[in-house]
Amino acid sequence: MIPSKQWFEHIEEVLTRLSCDSVVEPICVERMRTQLLAAATLLDEAAHGEASALAVVVRSSADSLAAANAGVIVEDTLARWEQVKTRLASGEPPPVPRPATPGALDEELVTLASDPEMSGMFVAEALDHLGTIESVLLQLEATPEDKKLLNDVFRPFHTIKGNAGALGVTSVQELAHIVENLLDLARAGKHVMGPDEFEIVLKAVDLLTLMINELPARIAGQPATDCSGRRHGLMTAVTALIAGGNRPVVAEVVVELAEAGADAATPPERSASAPVLTPAAALAVVAALPVLTPEEAFAERRTDGLAPGRVPPLAVVPDPDPAKQTRRAEDTAITVKVDTRKLDNLIDMVGELVIAQSILAEDPALSRSTDERLGRRLAQLKRITSDLQRNAMAMRMVPIRQTFQKMARLVRDLSKRSGKQIELVLQGEDTELDRRVVEDINDPLMHMVRNSVDHGIEMAEARVKTGKSAQATLRLSAFHQAGNIVIEIADDGAGLNTDKIHAKAIERGLATDGVTLSASEIHQMIFQPGFSTADKITEISGRGVGMDVVRRNIEALRGQIEIQTARGQGTTFSIRLPLTLAIVDGIMLGVGVERFVVPTFAVRESLRPLASQVHTIHGRPCMVQVRERLIPTLNIGELFAVSGARPDITDCTVVVIEDAGRPVALVVDELLGKQEVVIKSLGDAFQGVRGVAGGAILGDGRIGLILDAGGLMGLMGKSTARQAA
Amino acid sequence: MEATLAVDGQTAHSRQVAGDLAGKYLTFALGAEEYGLPVLKVREIIKVMDITQVPQMPAHVRGVINLRGKVIPVIDLRLKFGFPQQAYTERTCIIVVDVALQGMSVMMGIVVDSVSEVLNVTGAEIDQAPEFGDRVTTDYMLGLAKVKGTVKILLALDKVLGADGQVSHRVF
Repeated sequence: MIPSKQWFEHIEEVLTRLSCDSVVEPICVERMRTQLLAAATLLDEAAHGEASALAVVVRSSADSLAAANAGVIVEDTLARWEQVKTRLASGEPPPVPRPATPGALDEELVTLASDPEMSGMFVAEALDHLGTIESVLLQLEATPEDKKLLNDVFRPFHTIKGNAGALGVTSVQELAHIVENLLDLARAGKHVMGPDEFEIVLKAVDLLTLMINELPARIAGQPATDCSGRRHGLMTAVTALIAGGNRPVVAEVVVELAEAGADAATPPERSASAPVLTPAAALAVVAALPVLTPEEAFAERRTDGLAPGRVPPLAVVPDPDPAKQTRRAEDTAITVKVDTRKLDNLIDMVGELVIAQSILAEDPALSRSTDERLGRRLAQLKRITSDLQRNAMAMRMVPIRQTFQKMARLVRDLSKRSGKQIELVLQGEDTELDRRVVEDINDPLMHMVRNSVDHGIEMAEARVKTGKSAQATLRLSAFHQAGNIVIEIADDGAGLNTDKIHAKAIERGLATDGVTLSASEIHQMIFQPGFSTADKITEISGRGVGMDVVRRNIEALRGQIEIQTARGQGTTFSIRLPLTLAIVDGIMLGVGVERFVVPTFAVRESLRPLASQVHTIHGRPCMVQVRERLIPTLNIGELFAVSGARPDITDCTVVVIEDAGRPVALVVDELLGKQEVVIKSLGDAFQGVRGVAGGAILGDGRIGLILDAGGLMGLMGKSTARQAA
Repeated sequence: MEATLAVDGQTAHSRQVAGDLAGKYLTFALGAEEYGLPVLKVREIIKVMDITQVPQMPAHVRGVINLRGKVIPVIDLRLKFGFPQQAYTERTCIIVVDVALQGMSVMMGIVVDSVSEVLNVTGAEIDQAPEFGDRVTTDYMLGLAKVKGTVKILLALDKVLGADGQVSHRVF
């Protein structure tokens, strides 16, 4: 028996409403529960294998309506409902459920799995597009009339849909398609993009990002998040928006869909290829939809204090320089995607070319030559190679724009959730950083932006009371300074509460009561593990697992973090990072047959010790006295068992290095000078080696080990113990 | 009767294994012994160059070299197999090979006394490595090839070098 259209409409309406409403009034809950139970009975009557299975699901969602996760369950029900409905309406027999064979690929992944290169490209490209969409959407939200921006959102969606369709990734294709439909209507002026539309499209972007991110894992047979519930919920919501946008539009859609024999609730492109509903049934279903106007669909959501009217749209202030903007447009038009491994290879080879060139230039046979032409040609070769090297190094650099744009989205969401009014100002988005720095700075930055919004910026009322404007300003900027890149996160909020931090530090045992600390010393406390002054833990921050991790991450990038703060005026965090991670400024040390490099920033001084400066313990030289200070020595030749190292410490040079305030004097044969060296990882084979940070390719093509101050400190205890033994 | 069948089955099996092993091998010398590597694993052969010693490593891990901008570890196969150490000569070579480690392909260099030739070894020439008891472990041998009156030990490179690709520093 094929069930009647009326209860079709009925159940669907109930489910759609439930999935759209996050908070439901108690009276509604009871009414909907009754309706769902009635629907379940009807499903049972259908005496259709799958329908009765669905009835069970509908009943369980009816039962859990009052529970906190009702929304998820209902979305899931709705998703299954969609599938059953189309089949029921067309009178198709229920599909024989395929036994879930572990390791078997989803149908939609077959094409992707067959071509790893193509799937990799699809994923990278789609994620790229989604990043663009997100940032353009945020701009569009501030200026919804901008047709050009709307086009810029529409086009990448179209591309994602097309690519997903070509590769058979139906789930992605369907979602992208339905959002594209909405945007297309907006483009044609038939639909107005309101707050609800932006919210939904952004959610769709999030979900698509998640789904696409998980594709490689799914292809590899790993379990992935089940997105079908969220996906169908979103698709229904978009459909509802399209249908409820305004009446004339709905009329058109209804006619179009009815003519195509399509079902508005399922993605039209699927129905177009395989019509499953009769036109009459489709009309009936579509006719049911306008009942749900956006006002109705979102009525309850507005009651929970997040009325779109109350929070002004986040204003992202782009770089005011129009010339830069046009240049950016040109830049994006001519970029090429290259596998990073190929890029690294190229950079390696260029490095080798430079070395080969310098070996050639210093070859005695050539330097003896008086041939002027040969000299000129060599000079020309040198110019070309150094140009090439500069260009190759520049290829590692990428603008920080994308990272900043992610922060724009974060601030928007945080501002909506907390009800604080925030203007985000981005400066210096075109500043270029090492590719790895840009990747690794994302998390710390996100954390600090969250902190600024949660702890720094006050609520509008509190701000007005202290004579500040209701809208807070959060400024993210990046710029060059003294050979470093500086990233600043500045807010005009309450500033750090020095007294509160001090009190908390004493409470946590990080500081002693009675000992006077300078303000900046107290501020440093927030970088201690487990430190938080937030009175209550919010969803955003306050768990105290933050700034210590932030500092560690930044230090891993060889960077530093500083705080400037003024009570009532705001806080500025400055992150200082090296221009590139590929090169380190080092001092070369000769020990026997080997050469070592120690980073210049770790070196305090070097000296040739006199016999009177060396102090022995148990007959072994252990200490060097430098200006009234006894510094423990570490003999590199001995420690690393280098052959040919000088045995007598008074013939050697000691290099005093410092890590975390502790000095140690490295005993080496000689200082060979200062050099910028390219850092290379020694690879997995040598990951456990302590005291060595990596390898550096030296001017003659040999490898010198880069010493790691922290690791050497760790070795020192053991080495003295061994010497004593 | 049953016993005969079982023996027959075993021979067929070993013939099958030997058949899989047939192919081209790069042969090299260590002391008086001849070894073979599947030629597809070999990237290039270079003259022995300055090797930068890495501390806290077992003796057979000689250190790292710069192979045109890439830092690769170098293993001395002589020391690895327990031969006495010998000064490097004109004939000493580093064979750069691809080793599969935990699903990843890693480049490594192995130091050998001298490189001989590339040999085409047929299945019929390959014997399974016999059990020598505790004296010699054979699990890193693919088999033994009898070619032109000499025996070449065919190496399963991933097994020989596998442990050296992982963290294997000496406890200090």
